[in-house]
Amino acid sequence: MTQATHTTEASRGPIAGPRLNAVSVVTLGVVAVYLTMVIGLVLTDLCYTDAASFREVVKSRAILAAMRLSLFSSGASLCLIVLFAVPAGYALSRYQFPGHALVDAIVDLPIVLPPVVVGVSLLVFFNTAVGRWIEAHSLRFVYTVQGIILCQFVVSASYGIRAAAAAFDSVDRRLEHVALTLGCTPAQAFRRVALPMARNGIVAGAIMAWAHAFGLFGPLMVFAGSVRFKTEVMATTIYLELSIGRIEVALAVALVMLAMASVALVVIHALASGHRWWGR
Amino acid sequence: MIRVHNLSFSVGAFSLHNVSLEVPSGGYFILLGPTGSGKTLFIECLCGLLRPTGGRIEVNGRDVTRLAPRLREIGYVPQQQALFPHLRVRDNIAFPLRARRLSPAEIAERTGPLIGLLGLEALLERWPIHLSGGERQKVALARALAARPKLLLLDEPVSALDESSRERLCAELRRIHGELQITTLHVSHNFEEALSIGDRAGVLHDGRLVQTGPMAELLRHPASEFVARFFRNENVFEAEATQRPDGWTDIAFHGHVVRAPGRHGGAVTFTIRPERLAVHPPGTDVANGVQAELRRVVDRGPYRQLEFHAGVAIVAYSTADARAFADSPGARYLIEFPADAIHFVPS
Repeated sequence: MTQATHTTEASRGPIAGPRLNAVSVVTLGVVAVYLTMVIGLVLTDLCYTDAASFREVVKSRAILAAMRLSLFSSGASLCLIVLFAVPAGYALSRYQFPGHALVDAIVDLPIVLPPVVVGVSLLVFFNTAVGRWIEAHSLRFVYTVQGIILCQFVVSASYGIRAAAAAFDSVDRRLEHVALTLGCTPAQAFRRVALPMARNGIVAGAIMAWAHAFGLFGPLMVFAGSVRFKTEVMATTIYLELSIGRIEVALAVALVMLAMASVALVVIHALASGHRWWGR
Repeated sequence: MIRVHNLSFSVGAFSLHNVSLEVPSGGYFILLGPTGSGKTLFIECLCGLLRPTGGRIEVNGRDVTRLAPRLREIGYVPQQQALFPHLRVRDNIAFPLRARRLSPAEIAERTGPLIGLLGLEALLERWPIHLSGGERQKVALARALAARPKLLLLDEPVSALDESSRERLCAELRRIHGELQITTLHVSHNFEEALSIGDRAGVLHDGRLVQTGPMAELLRHPASEFVARFFRNENVFEAEATQRPDGWTDIAFHGHVVRAPGRHGGAVTFTIRPERLAVHPPGTDVANGVQAELRRVVDRGPYRQLEFHAGVAIVAYSTADARAFADSPGARYLIEFPADAIHFVPS
């Protein structure tokens, strides 16, 4: 039984009492250390690069194309991931079947695997008879934009599915049962009760998945290549610029990527919190 | 009206065994039983959340045993956490009507009178988390009633509430039932709550319906020791009965003899409600007197619970002031067993 629906405002807010104690000092201290590390790295990058590199980045048509492709491909994978994660997460949360634990483990596999292995595996797969048949009769994947989206999807969908399953786990099943007695079909109970209640968790998982897809690089190099104006995304641009020794430009691209990701995260958060049901 | 015939259900080691019961149209029936007796399983079978292994459920003559929950026209108020936390009170109440795709005008027309009846006007824009327990139950009730069900199922509707909210909600339930005359099945583990609302009740024990009847009947004429004890009657005695030629029976227990009307013989079990026992000073001339020693006095507020020993424990209630017994533990009394209050428990 979940207590989530019973939790009061007070119990979810800050802990009352003296602010300065061993727990608060240690935990806030850890936060401070981590923040220093992240901000320090970003600042180092900012200092190392220069205005000229930034100018070059925003003027280079190839890099602008890579930016557009990064946003497009990660956005497309995000849509695919949500379409997959919501039903798959619901099934994993609600239904018990033989081999459930094994299925759980397989769903998590892409998180554990080094991403580049996914790229290699996809390449090998599309070289088999089945893979060649698919390429001949539907979309082409190897060295195409579709291939980028496929890589991002395979690697990142785990995050979405895992988060959606956890989100549905936190929704009391009895609420869906009550909905059934109140005139809902099972599909209506899902749409009117389970889905809206699991929404925040699903959104959090989608953000993770998107961020992962946006920064993905290893498998793309193997499976989609890094062809200027064709299959080059920002993550591969960074690698290409590094490989020819232009560290300042690589860092400038990285910082632009960071800015884009921050804007995207803020936008997603804002969209997701447009509707809050706990009455805050 | 609802008619349940031989309903059976099994889960793990627990089963409901051929439960049959009938509530006439507009009736208010209370299903009593301790925790784990199968009450919730029974009503989940009724509303279609569980599939019974056998038996039949009829609502107003229509067999609903195999129907999906939404087609049964049964309103269900579950035990706790019944409200949808992501919807305001207004939308919780309108939920069953939205599921049926009614227009906003129709929804307003249907929910308006209910909101008035239950006095929920001030709560409509609130979130469930900001309601008190009693308010939550009233909203859940309004939501269940909004679909205009033929039968209302209430699972422990007041048991999570504090004493005064419980009494208030019980009174509300009576009033609402009086207004709407909807056939209601109310599940409870508390017989006092049942006494304050229902006129008929049944007692469920280990998945079996062991007795049904008017409330007073269950209270005064329990069909088994279990029912007697469930209605908090500790005075259950094993005795030896001897028929008398005058149509009365002598009942011998633990060295005492009392006399009751009726023809009984051999080993019997009888009960007498603690509030029917009269406590007299020793030496008083009464029929059916039993000498006993007062062991303990428990102040229950409106009455005193007197625990006697007379070879066997006997409990009596007295409304006399606690001071009357203040220094008497150990003192001897004469307890009168009024003949008409003695009830033989069928073996």
